[in-house]
Amino acid sequence: MMKYGMHRMIGKKKTLRRWVVGGLAALACVGMLAGCGGSRSGNPDVLKVGVTNFADTLEPTENYFAWVVMRYGIGEALAKFDKEMKPVPWLAKEWSVSKDHMTWTFIIDEKATFSNGKPVTAEAVKASIERVFAKSNRANTFFTYDTIQADGQTLTIHTTTPVPNMPGLLADPLFLIVDVQAEKDGRNFAKEGPIATGPYRVVSFSRDKAVVEANPNYWQGKVPFKTIEIPSIDDPNTRAMALQSGEVDMAVNIGPGELPMFKENSAYKVHEIDSLRVVVARLNQRGIFKDPNVRAALISATDRKSYADVLLKGTFSPGKAPIPPSLDFGFNELTDPNSYNPERAKQLLAEAGWKDTDGDGILDKDGKPLHADFVIYNSRAELPIFAEGVQADARKVGMDISIKTVDYNLIDKIGIDGDYDLLISNIVTANTGDPQMFLKWYWGTNINGSNPQNGSGYSNPTYDAKLAEMAASFDPTKRRRLAIELQQILLDDSAALFLGYPKTNIVNAGYLDNVEMFPSDYYWITSDIAYRK
Amino acid sequence: MKIMNEKKRYFITYSVLLGVMILIALIGPLCMSTDIYTSDLGRALQAPSADHWFGTDKLGRDVFARIIHGMQLSLGMSFSIVSLMAMTGTLVGVVAGFYGGKVEMVLMRLCDIMISFPGIILAIAIAGVMGGSIGNAILALTLVGWAKYARIVRSLVLKVRGEDYVTAARLSGASPFVIMRRHILPNTLPLVFVTAGMDLGTMILEVAGLSFLGFGAQPPTPEWGRMLNEGRQYLQMAPWLMVFPGVAILLVVTVFNLWSDSLRDILDPKQT
Repeated sequence: MMKYGMHRMIGKKKTLRRWVVGGLAALACVGMLAGCGGSRSGNPDVLKVGVTNFADTLEPTENYFAWVVMRYGIGEALAKFDKEMKPVPWLAKEWSVSKDHMTWTFIIDEKATFSNGKPVTAEAVKASIERVFAKSNRANTFFTYDTIQADGQTLTIHTTTPVPNMPGLLADPLFLIVDVQAEKDGRNFAKEGPIATGPYRVVSFSRDKAVVEANPNYWQGKVPFKTIEIPSIDDPNTRAMALQSGEVDMAVNIGPGELPMFKENSAYKVHEIDSLRVVVARLNQRGIFKDPNVRAALISATDRKSYADVLLKGTFSPGKAPIPPSLDFGFNELTDPNSYNPERAKQLLAEAGWKDTDGDGILDKDGKPLHADFVIYNSRAELPIFAEGVQADARKVGMDISIKTVDYNLIDKIGIDGDYDLLISNIVTANTGDPQMFLKWYWGTNINGSNPQNGSGYSNPTYDAKLAEMAASFDPTKRRRLAIELQQILLDDSAALFLGYPKTNIVNAGYLDNVEMFPSDYYWITSDIAYRK
Repeated sequence: MKIMNEKKRYFITYSVLLGVMILIALIGPLCMSTDIYTSDLGRALQAPSADHWFGTDKLGRDVFARIIHGMQLSLGMSFSIVSLMAMTGTLVGVVAGFYGGKVEMVLMRLCDIMISFPGIILAIAIAGVMGGSIGNAILALTLVGWAKYARIVRSLVLKVRGEDYVTAARLSGASPFVIMRRHILPNTLPLVFVTAGMDLGTMILEVAGLSFLGFGAQPPTPEWGRMLNEGRQYLQMAPWLMVFPGVAILLVVTVFNLWSDSLRDILDPKQT
């Protein structure tokens, strides 16, 4: 009865071929591993830098692309953040402010020139700042102005409301100074890169690779490298391997899995600093985390010290408060009522009425399990690791957490819509050297989209009042005290789970000098980086 | 006769291997006292030792225990996908081949469309849109794979339906359902089984692939592809996190492929 056999699917020969190919692949892997290491010397004319890149173009007013323009040594701003995040002179050599904090005067360095040789006058700076306000809707979140006046090298900005920290605001990459006239004369900044004042100028740029060359007109002297090639290597493993194989001479943000090896190898130099970032899990105050006891229990259950030290191999500092210890906003004065204590977490949950009635290890109440959705994205390597750590710790106190991985581009909307129980973020807390904006964005009361970034439903009138007080005060001591009080309120309310503070690093082969990482993360390629002869 | 015996010997050997694997998958997790979910950061990333044969992962969980648990999952998923694909495909193929005409045209064009997509990419798209989970991965791979079975079965049915015994059954008043079930379906099954056997190994790879990319099993599930992805970040410091799940996939897929090859040799009448 049986009739078949017209098809021969995979023959013996194919099986054999599969084995051979598999064997060769295994050999190739062994060869690759063996090929790592060994001494090498770079090219004194060409520097290769492995980076992560999110920019599609070099148009500084688009999204956050200005960061890339500044990181690649192409653009500079009026001021620059030093290692303590204090703005120091850059293109502006000095500044002053009127008593009412409404009029700021900047003196532009008369030596400064654009890469096309034209001098940077106050008029050119004015045009550049006006261009930012015309093209970027982010500009208004920094400050708003009535007039900008230019007179020789003197620039006067009159703002509509008092601004305590104008040099810090203008140090943001968004306000890097470009030659607006060059654009009017036909240069396409998005495609060809802006004409700016940095040590390097654009040769070519794509999302995958940038090439820059020495700016012959650099106003601070001769530039060390003729050419810098900047491949985008977004995967942290691949970036580390590119550095090991000599494909690049330096690389930013080596991951926790590889950093210890570079630290132990004398052929490399590692520069690691505390960043201004915090990894936080926002807690939606409407669903399962409506009950402050459940929030407190979750936070108490998480062993944040072990995440930083063990899971992330010391590339993070343990989390506690919204603002990292790298910034002087009272990290050590704050007390975390929910420091790691799983027994307390269990007790809090029991007090809130959660019991394991069905014996499955997960607590329940009124027939509903204690379950939360943790929304994460994985383009930053540490986020899934934190999430899994939280998941494992929560399970120990009887809380079931499902991790939902989504694309990074969806995160912002999910945050605004509040479509989560827990939502992970890696946030810059003080990109202008001041945390006021960060504290307002994520926890200031949001009524019908009045503060859209706070989609968590968190609202505390005392917190809002102190935020308003902070916005109106210019005395640094008072601002610092208010920032501390604001943070303490968030901690006492168990408003969010602060997981850790990333350290950021830049690793280079030993033959390079002066490679440094700054807390602001805006300056990767500088005119100081040089080949050691 | 001699050749047949040798083939039978291979088939029996591989069947035993396969049986052992299935046994491990079914019984293994029950025999283990190790909790594969509880983290203990105090013993994270330990190299293989007498206590932890395959080392521990970043949360301090025993990799050996996780691989054994993962075996149940991988085999289970692979069997479910292949059975779903084979059942759907066979049903569509028998109906299309038996009725012919418009029914056949519609069903077969649908198959052509499904086959013209690159499989794994379509699966990624489906799983990506629906969100990563084991169920969605099974669904995605099934949606992508059933069309192949429909085509094979239909071509067999076309040959069979003109046979005298089918005509005889029809003349004696048998209903279409009875003819399909009693006379046509049994003729298609051997080849469906061989194809399904071949697909078992492939599906383990594809499930692992989807999970590796984040579209399949989610943490803390000990799925092999998922484990490979988690180990990736510690590739140079803790290679055992990638090596052992990788070897597990290699072994299981190899056994499946060898077994299905020998199954085909047994069932293939041309060589007897």
